[in-house]
Amino acid sequence: MLDIQQLQIQLGDNQLNYHQQINSGDIVTLQGVSGVGKSSLLLCIAGFIQPVRGLISWQGTQISSQPIEQRPVAMLFQENNLFEHISVLKNARLGTANIGDTEIFAAAKELQITEQMQKMPLQLSGGQRQRVGLLRTLLRPEPLILLDEPFAELDNQTRTIAANWVNKIARAQNKTVLLVTHQMEDVDILADRNWLME
Amino acid sequence: MFTKSSNIAGLLFILIISSVTVLAFQGLIGFSQRGADLALLEDSYFHSILLFSIKQALLSALLSTLLAWPIARAIYYYPNIFFKQTFLSLSLLCFVLPTLVLITGFVSLLGLSGFITPFLGEDWSLYGLQGILLAHVYMNLPFAVRAMHLQLQSIPDSSWILARQLKFSRWQRFRLIEIPSLSANASLIFGFICILCFNSFAVVLALGGGPQSTTLEVAIYQALKYDFNIPEALTLAWSQFAIAGVFFLLLYRSSSVPWLSKDSTEKRWIPCISKTTKGIYLLIYTGTFVFMLMPLLALLPGVLAANYSIDLIVDVLQALSLTLILGVLSAVSAMLIAYCIMLPIRNAAQRGQLRLQNTLQWLANHTLIAPAMVLSVGLYILFLPLIDLDQLGIIFVLILNTLLILPFAIQQIRARVLQYDNDYALLYQSLKLNFQQRISIEWGYIKPIMLSTFALVLLISMGDVAIFSIFGNDNLQTLPWLIYQYAGSYRIHEASFASAILLLVYFIILLKIERAKYHA
Repeated sequence: MLDIQQLQIQLGDNQLNYHQQINSGDIVTLQGVSGVGKSSLLLCIAGFIQPVRGLISWQGTQISSQPIEQRPVAMLFQENNLFEHISVLKNARLGTANIGDTEIFAAAKELQITEQMQKMPLQLSGGQRQRVGLLRTLLRPEPLILLDEPFAELDNQTRTIAANWVNKIARAQNKTVLLVTHQMEDVDILADRNWLME
Repeated sequence: MFTKSSNIAGLLFILIISSVTVLAFQGLIGFSQRGADLALLEDSYFHSILLFSIKQALLSALLSTLLAWPIARAIYYYPNIFFKQTFLSLSLLCFVLPTLVLITGFVSLLGLSGFITPFLGEDWSLYGLQGILLAHVYMNLPFAVRAMHLQLQSIPDSSWILARQLKFSRWQRFRLIEIPSLSANASLIFGFICILCFNSFAVVLALGGGPQSTTLEVAIYQALKYDFNIPEALTLAWSQFAIAGVFFLLLYRSSSVPWLSKDSTEKRWIPCISKTTKGIYLLIYTGTFVFMLMPLLALLPGVLAANYSIDLIVDVLQALSLTLILGVLSAVSAMLIAYCIMLPIRNAAQRGQLRLQNTLQWLANHTLIAPAMVLSVGLYILFLPLIDLDQLGIIFVLILNTLLILPFAIQQIRARVLQYDNDYALLYQSLKLNFQQRISIEWGYIKPIMLSTFALVLLISMGDVAIFSIFGNDNLQTLPWLIYQYAGSYRIHEASFASAILLLVYFIILLKIERAKYHA
């Protein structure tokens, strides 16, 4: 279980408060108006923002004091998910030492980006880049997956394909997913629970 | 950033560099048995050299930066201009050109019996402020052009596309896109040139022409060499160190990470320019090209008139080999040390510890402002009773050369690695990459700047005369030292020949590195 207890983040003049329990293996969508603190929460769980107070625990172990590298978290940022100077395939291999190219290419095929794997990130469209990042994040071994607007740049058809793929992989590997989205369609396809932030 | 152990390596190097400076000053203080001569601070002689040092440095930096601007614009807005790559390579050559070679060229052109002197009127003299400014502008203007051109190139295509879509006027483009891209680093470029000129030695020594045109660095040299007045040298050295140090600190505080977006290798959206503007740019560009080429071409008559013998060629080739060996060793060491030193600085930057970042940067770069003459002489005096400097002097040449080129290496790679962290710190931390993976990915990103920086510091190191003059010996001669000896014994043709060989090697290295950088 992911246990977020009385967590408080200070962002400029804004104070953001969170308190929530999320069961292992659940996919939870996060919704709310811009600025409500959805991305900040993900960044805090991943270790990039230090909370003012409160605790984050995973399976009973407190992780909020752990360094980024030791947290059981894989995160997809809204942008800047790829190193621009190395190929897409090399980008996809990073952090996925547990799996081989066969699985990467199988996932790429499902996400319809096989043709892009040998290219450089600059040659890809925004949607293609996002799917490469998504592929890598889901294939990483960490059990807790944080996805910050992963389908924002995808057309409706590709969005459905990507969402279904996330659903399949997360369920098969029993991953716990927190996913920020503004689309109800994503909630319908993926969510065990929708966390509406106010 | 990286782990604590990698931080320690960087901090250790900073400590060692600082210790060398402390030891050098200690060597001078210990030898004279007394400290600085503070009464000198109220002497009019001191005031005049201080004022002149500041005046010539500010003027040199101002002229170089202001003149570089239109030239950088010309090559940016007119990307297909003829021989652009050669122009950029030549610009780098001018910056690293051994001062002796440059002065030989200038004297042939503008000296008492120079080719151009008869056309400059009776009042013209290469010696004094105008000669110093000319040489400083010659060396630093091309550096400023390259730096500004790089800044302009970093304007993302999206900015130009947006400007076009919003139908910006020429003035709006200038004010809203070009100025912000340059302003972030213009003060850094100006300050950097200012410090280089403030500490200028060989140019002022050769072209100063008298006590009214002396800088602190030359005065230190004179106090040590002619009067062996160590208290006076120390006062001058402390003054130079303090002024340049404060200036350097201000410089680093005011600078920021360059106004850059992610790398864009292809520049497709550069605003079109009118035919008239094109003509003006062409004129500016050609004029600069001629200005940069003339002192180099002026060496040719001397080369043609040289009396070639086997001895001359063997001497030149032997000296060239030693120059290359020392240069490569110094440059490789400086690059490794610079990278290690940047690790704790990057960590501080990532954590927002600005004060710590500035302090580490200042310490790491302080050899840029520490008087080279004091470092060399101080260490020489300190180690003379302890070590056989005739035998081991060459090791000191290597160490001091490494220290003096280190700030250039740090200066060059700093912006790039900080930008890397700026763009990718979240990503590489999130991916939990190990040290080897991080280095291998980062190498792909910094390889071009590492190669060009290696070339830059290699060439600067190869041009050294000052350190070799103290620690070198006659059995082992570097090529610049050989040129100095030829020139000193009025063998001007041989000096021109040796200069031309050195220039040729410089140019070959530059072309190789520019090509390697292009393919990186």
